[in-house]
Amino acid sequence: MKKAGSAVSYLIAFILILMISFLLPRLMPGNPLMAIYGEEALIAMTPELQAELTQRFSLDDPLGTQFVSYLKALLHGDMGYSYFHNAPVFDVIIASLPWTLLLVGLAVLISSFLGIILGIESGYRRGETTDKVLLTGLISLSGFPDFFIGILLLLFFGAALGIAPLAGAVTPYAGKTGLALLIDVLHHLTLPLLALVLVRITGTYLLTRNTMVTTLGEAFILTAKAKGCREREIRYRHAGRNSLLPVVTAAGLQLAGSITGALFIEIVFSYPGVGSLLYNSLLARDYPLMQGILLMTTVVILLANYMIDLLYTRLDPRITYSR
Amino acid sequence: MLEIKNLKVSYNELNILKGIDLSLNKGESLAVIGETGAGKTTLSLSIMGLIEGHCTGEILFQGENLLSLPEDELRLLRGRRIAMVFQDVEAALHPLYTIRQQIIEAILVHGEKDRDFAAEHTRQLLARVGLDERRGDSYPHQLSGGEKQKALICIALANDPDVLILDEPTAALDALTKAEIINLLRKEAKERITLVITHDIDAAAKLAERIAVMYAGRILEMGPTEELLEQPMHPYTRGLLRSYPNMTTTKDLQGIPGRMSHRVEGCPFHTRCTQKIAVCGHDVPELQKKNSRYLACHRGGIIPLLEVKNISSNIDKVEILHSVDINLYEGETLALVGESGSGKTTLAKTIMGLFTAKQGEIFLEEKPVIQRKKEFFERVQMVFQNPGESISHRMNVYQAVKEPLDIHGSRASESEKQEKVKKVLDEVELTGDDEYLKKYPHHLSGGEAQRVAIARALVLDPKLIIADEPTSALDASIQAKILRLFLDLQEERGLALLLITHDIALARKVSDRMAVMLQGTIVEEGPTSEIVNNPLHPYTKCLIEVAPTMSREISEPLETNSREEDHETETDFQKGSSDSQQNCPFIRRCPHPLPRCFQDKPELKTCSVHRVACFRHTVHWPT
Repeated sequence: MKKAGSAVSYLIAFILILMISFLLPRLMPGNPLMAIYGEEALIAMTPELQAELTQRFSLDDPLGTQFVSYLKALLHGDMGYSYFHNAPVFDVIIASLPWTLLLVGLAVLISSFLGIILGIESGYRRGETTDKVLLTGLISLSGFPDFFIGILLLLFFGAALGIAPLAGAVTPYAGKTGLALLIDVLHHLTLPLLALVLVRITGTYLLTRNTMVTTLGEAFILTAKAKGCREREIRYRHAGRNSLLPVVTAAGLQLAGSITGALFIEIVFSYPGVGSLLYNSLLARDYPLMQGILLMTTVVILLANYMIDLLYTRLDPRITYSR
Repeated sequence: MLEIKNLKVSYNELNILKGIDLSLNKGESLAVIGETGAGKTTLSLSIMGLIEGHCTGEILFQGENLLSLPEDELRLLRGRRIAMVFQDVEAALHPLYTIRQQIIEAILVHGEKDRDFAAEHTRQLLARVGLDERRGDSYPHQLSGGEKQKALICIALANDPDVLILDEPTAALDALTKAEIINLLRKEAKERITLVITHDIDAAAKLAERIAVMYAGRILEMGPTEELLEQPMHPYTRGLLRSYPNMTTTKDLQGIPGRMSHRVEGCPFHTRCTQKIAVCGHDVPELQKKNSRYLACHRGGIIPLLEVKNISSNIDKVEILHSVDINLYEGETLALVGESGSGKTTLAKTIMGLFTAKQGEIFLEEKPVIQRKKEFFERVQMVFQNPGESISHRMNVYQAVKEPLDIHGSRASESEKQEKVKKVLDEVELTGDDEYLKKYPHHLSGGEAQRVAIARALVLDPKLIIADEPTSALDASIQAKILRLFLDLQEERGLALLLITHDIALARKVSDRMAVMLQGTIVEEGPTSEIVNNPLHPYTKCLIEVAPTMSREISEPLETNSREEDHETETDFQKGSSDSQQNCPFIRRCPHPLPRCFQDKPELKTCSVHRVACFRHTVHWPT
């Protein structure tokens, strides 16, 4: 029951997004086809094609009917047609999305994990040298913008040392399969991933460290000590477990920003993800593609948040989504 | 065996514990009481080895000094041999694990038992503390305060420890839950060393055989629970008991003046003590053994301010007082109750030196009173029964109240004296304006005259006030204010009060002890609450029977066995006829006299916490 409650709110959010995505081009002044396809595309179109498209999008019909046919088209995976890529928008996005998910997903996972571990250790040793070094180091690291770190990494490992590829997600036309492909993918992934992790780790680290410091002052830590728990157990099982909660919330929020936030990194490393796609579509004024990316990313973010919510109820028994 | 020797703990140069010595054997229990910040929790944490501060001294557990053990070995003792229940019930359990997981962890963490044993033992523990088996799978936020406390007790008991430390085990629990937890703890504390840390005197009394009173990192008094609660020796202990609301004592609540500070030279309590002397300010008193009690006080505990020993007094060759013995301690109210003509006023006037005693001695502050000079009257003042008569008709209010200041050669200027007079008049709820100051006694109402008389007695700041029916002429509302004033002065300056009254209901609210007088003798004496709730002497019983209540019920007049025989003896007996020397003074009205009562006069003998002069109660007690 409680889970259904949260699912319903996600559904409402999803429908709202659909409606916005549907309404925006139609609210723009002038021909909706122009809003959907852009001026250049419209000029290039034959009047027959225009008429066909107008009919296909039911642009003559009342808004309600239009929305129904919009939804129907979506159900079939029809998100429009990208003239720039000369392919359906859906196919274009689906080709890039896995790379971004791989990059961003791994980056969030690794930066959260490392951030938590470092935060716990640092918080437990508050005021000691280890803590001070970590704190100063990570805070100064977070001062660099992500693309700058990306460029530095690229220059050092890619250009100077030559041990990492300069661009792409796989070696093109190598025809690798199986393990070789996997290694190739990881090889290309390393530098952009490292750049993203380095930038994102500080937030998680600081949050964990601060929560850790307050949690260590809680009465239940004293109870754990009085039980005779080892230091490691107190650090992780008692204090650490409690410090995890805000970090998970933060990770959920981060994930939302990361999909488009990876834009710079993807461009710097020419990584074929959604970020690069969005950048190119902006340059080319590929409106259908932009709308498709908007819709796709919001769906992914909604899904991710929903999963975080589910995870949260497992992590903290005090949270219930009952109304 | 747990022994603490000269334990000192300091945080950042601030000494929290300043030399604690304790020793506890298996099966013994000790409660440490005191105000917040006294160092009680620091003491318990230092035994657990969980103190952040710097510790010196020794904590010997079965011969091993815990303070010098490495952390690894200490960890193995914690929760296994020495366990603790922490005070903050709401926060002491981990919010993210079930009760069962937390209890099981307490067993497994010592690596001696396997998971199956731990699960089974946890089941038994839950049953033992009276928690439902299913509650084990609940998270702390799903449990009530009492259930959480039980879960914490389970964790502490998980490895059957030798030492159980309970820090405020009943704070934040409602009365019924508290009673349940106390029952449970009392059962579980057997066969162990139990240390209870609490400010709840009731919990301390119920959980421990001995009580130690802690103040600013030192133990001020320690002794068997019942003895210490019945007869506190240290002024601080008495202050704690007086400020603790309970169903036993009847006196109005009184606090302790001032605040606790850890940075005090000399006796830590001397800044708040009402009987301090010079030495208290620079020497720390040692905790010394006194019979079954330990006490740290330069003055040997609460001092007897006034001791009346074996006083007999005559008026016109008729003996009014027959070897009366009373003690009045510093800062204490002793109510002298009894019917009119029982000799109460005579006793007061004898103390003041207005009548000469035929025999006996009087001591003021442990020094015999031979001649009453100015020093005596600076310390002792009396408020007389008849206010209209006790103020000179030739003096106006201002002169009457100021006169003691003049007599005692106060060096204050006239304006300072006037200031003082006005302040005292204000304290007794009289206006100090010029017009009023010029009034003469015959202008005043009875209540006003009485308050002027009280103001006159207070103006010298005496240590002892003998008040003879001080409020009998006043409205109840003014009476309440005057008595509150007395009690406040008692709290602030340790004013001792000998309150002579026939109103036992009044005495019940303002006195610590009560002495019942009949025909010139004390027939019963003891703590007020005891006298009122459990009177032993039939005369006391009958006084209590007729004391004011707020109901329409009336009590039957005392059935006397002499009534049918002889009506005349009544008047005879009230005058204090000479034959009362040969038998019990209450014999004519006593409902159950013994044959012996007709032949002998009973002496005042100790019977539990009372002293009573009645053969029915003293005959069974070895003399």
